[in-house]
Amino acid sequence: MTYTPRPYRRTTIPSAATLHGLRRFTNGYTPALRNQVTAAGGFGPWFNRQLADAYDDNVYIQTARWWPSINASPETVWQRHKDEVEELWRADANYQCWAMVRRYGSQRQVREVMAEFWEHHLHVPATGEVGPFRSSYGKTVRKHALGRFDELLLAAITHPAMAVYLDNANSSKSAPNENLGRELLELHTVGRGEYGEDDVKNSARILTGYRVGLWSDWAFSYDPVKHWTGPVQVMGFAHANSDPDGRTALAAYLTYLAHHPATARRIALKLARRFVSDVPSDALVTRLAQVYLANGTAIRPVLKALVASSEFATSRGKKVRTPPEDVVATWRALGARFTAPPRTSDDSSGANAILWQSQSIGLTPFGWQRPDGRPDTAADWGSTSRFLASLDIHYTMAGGWWPKVGTGYRSAVSWLPQRRIRFDELVDHVARSVHGAGSTALMLQVACEATGCRPSEVISSTHRIVRWEWARVLTVFLDSPTHMTR
Amino acid sequence: MTAASGCAEGCPEFTRMSRRGLLRGSVGAGVGLTAVSAFGTAFMETSFAATRSAPAVLVVLSMRGAVDGMSLVVPHGDPVYYAARPRIAVPSETLLAKDGFFGLHPHLAPLLPLWDAGQMATVHATGLPAPNRSHFAAIEEVEDADPGSAARVGWLNRLIGRDSYTNPLQAISFGESVTPVALAGPQASVAVDTIADMQLAGADKWDTARRRPKSMRTMWAGAPGPLGVGARAAMQAIGDFAPVRAVSATPANGAAYPSGDFGKAMAAAARTIRGDVGADVIAVDYGSWDHHADLGPLAWGQMQRMTTEFARGVAAFFTDLGPLAAKVTLVTLSEFGRRTKENANYGLDHGYGTAMMLFGAGVKGGYYGNWPGLTNTANADLLVTTDYRSVLAEVAVKRMGASSAQVFPGFQPETVGAIL
Repeated sequence: MTYTPRPYRRTTIPSAATLHGLRRFTNGYTPALRNQVTAAGGFGPWFNRQLADAYDDNVYIQTARWWPSINASPETVWQRHKDEVEELWRADANYQCWAMVRRYGSQRQVREVMAEFWEHHLHVPATGEVGPFRSSYGKTVRKHALGRFDELLLAAITHPAMAVYLDNANSSKSAPNENLGRELLELHTVGRGEYGEDDVKNSARILTGYRVGLWSDWAFSYDPVKHWTGPVQVMGFAHANSDPDGRTALAAYLTYLAHHPATARRIALKLARRFVSDVPSDALVTRLAQVYLANGTAIRPVLKALVASSEFATSRGKKVRTPPEDVVATWRALGARFTAPPRTSDDSSGANAILWQSQSIGLTPFGWQRPDGRPDTAADWGSTSRFLASLDIHYTMAGGWWPKVGTGYRSAVSWLPQRRIRFDELVDHVARSVHGAGSTALMLQVACEATGCRPSEVISSTHRIVRWEWARVLTVFLDSPTHMTR
Repeated sequence: MTAASGCAEGCPEFTRMSRRGLLRGSVGAGVGLTAVSAFGTAFMETSFAATRSAPAVLVVLSMRGAVDGMSLVVPHGDPVYYAARPRIAVPSETLLAKDGFFGLHPHLAPLLPLWDAGQMATVHATGLPAPNRSHFAAIEEVEDADPGSAARVGWLNRLIGRDSYTNPLQAISFGESVTPVALAGPQASVAVDTIADMQLAGADKWDTARRRPKSMRTMWAGAPGPLGVGARAAMQAIGDFAPVRAVSATPANGAAYPSGDFGKAMAAAARTIRGDVGADVIAVDYGSWDHHADLGPLAWGQMQRMTTEFARGVAAFFTDLGPLAAKVTLVTLSEFGRRTKENANYGLDHGYGTAMMLFGAGVKGGYYGNWPGLTNTANADLLVTTDYRSVLAEVAVKRMGASSAQVFPGFQPETVGAIL
């Protein structure tokens, strides 16, 4: 049998270049997104409007109210834990759910994408181990997500969540704990090869003074008595550090690190790896690093330069979606909706179940157990269990079998663009709706093999694939390399 | 210092455990249950690429996060050990299997039968040839084990690549869906969280014409990149894994695994060996041992909890295997060790040398390694006297029949003596 795709042009799609931009800088294609881009006048203007926060933030604001712990103060989160209303791990799980739900629905897609990027770069796990601070940390990072890296770095490194996670809380001048001092250099800024062990020690000394009442009241404070004073030198940074309140010295140190050329290169490399390809060229990284330094660590100019590069344009489809990305994109592709705010502890409710879906594919958002943040290359996300578990999630979602509570799925009939349609045209229509691109001969062949339909077969609402087997049609698109990459 | 104050429900480890438990429970009650009730028993494909039996099995247990070898294999004969760790040293009188210099952490007690049978060895002061205190760079270096090469090919990938057999089930990693660096490379391998994951959704009893596997093979036959490679390996492995699914999930010989991810991974490893699907290499990740804080004294702390879990898991694994243990060798490794001196938080910062352990087939029991002597300065490390590759090479050559040059290019191993 020959498989010649038959375009269904009434279902409009963006240009290939626009689709590529959307797949990289949003959480998945939807027809509504296409309309938004068209209204903005194309991808370029749309991207600039995204960088300017010109789209409303209502989804972020409203969905934060779905879980009581998201907007609560650390004191309240801790009190709720003690009262056995909501344990800390559950409060963090709620934060994870919220992150996925806002990625799913936000009009500020680029800000959400960048918030995720920075939350991995300045990784603090959301697994109940940093006390009541995780939601506050995530909101802090998002606030700076499109701003300047030097301001973001200061906000993140001095946040109590980071202090707890990398043991800077209660590190003292008598025996500084080196964990944060080291990872600040290796992971958050300049990277290996730029510093030695003496630099690590001084880095740790500059960071001393912060106190957190671990597992007691979680009070966060600064105690000059605990701060190590005396001259410090880390690489090219030197400071008298004579003031018992070391926060001024710390701010100067972090500013130095943020503006260091090695930091510029690492940030540029990570951005290029996230948005261009697993192995971006040295030329691109160098150029982005220059833009970063020339703009005082401002992020927006770097993103604009990245999107304008020819390397970005020629990198289509090369990035593999991580498990949370796969799950959120699947919800978006299927047009599945969250129909009610979840009760916090109801794990079958869609807005909570989305987290367990992500877990079953291999990773929850911010669930990575090491301080380097989740890996971001195809080799890391091509394993057996990831592949098979993704297919499982796609199938149960395509069938609307799980989750069911607090969830709205499209009916099979609603996918038919007209009462009677040839199967090959229907395949093209679904490809345009789900992928934002027309079908291929391969897609048509797979759809025929998966359903037993012939390309010319006429499909109506009474056809068996619509009545009983629509999930088998949808999985063809979700289980494709197109859906599992971006 | 608050960490010592009565670790009950407020402790981080409690939080982690309860969370993990619920995560698993949720998935089971949600996805799993629905899938079963909607589709019945999972469809099993017949094998189309026969596997062969594995003559010897190497299990590599990665103690991630840089384990403190001096807590596991305690150098009680070095007085600096006690001077440098006034709060967290393991008391000499509590040690097991003591000789004049070393002793085992008391929570390793479940491993004493293996020790007494001469099937447990330790090699102390092992590590990379040069200090590298970065978790991320060090573990890459350890697992890559080919310092001269820029190619990201792990030593286990080279080990399974030495012959013409290329089934993806030749190497399996359990417990993580991310393939470890040691297995990265041209030879396909399988990384699975649990044995139950090894099925193709939709290939169920209603798929009578077997459209699902056929259509998926068509879809992914030419897909490029690691995702395509992984997809094809997964679809082949589903069929070839059938003998493992046929093995009872109940551990044999009364073996009792600890609850949690580590116990599950070790149970899955034993079940896979029993299924005999040609897995020469099984990798298990167990971490994190990154104990900057709350490593703790013997009365409490992360080291004690994790050592208990480790010992129970390894002991249960060999009990479960029964006679099959005669072909299984387990080796532990970690990216580096910890400092000699304890820090302010009942913990240890990043150090250098650590202890490796070997168990099972071919192991010549006892304490190995050259002790360099400790120094009690603020930043002193346990120095490395044995390159970790010498230990691994001994296993690869004597147990797996590989050549050291194939697996560790450009490296001249020294004799350790821990493998017969």
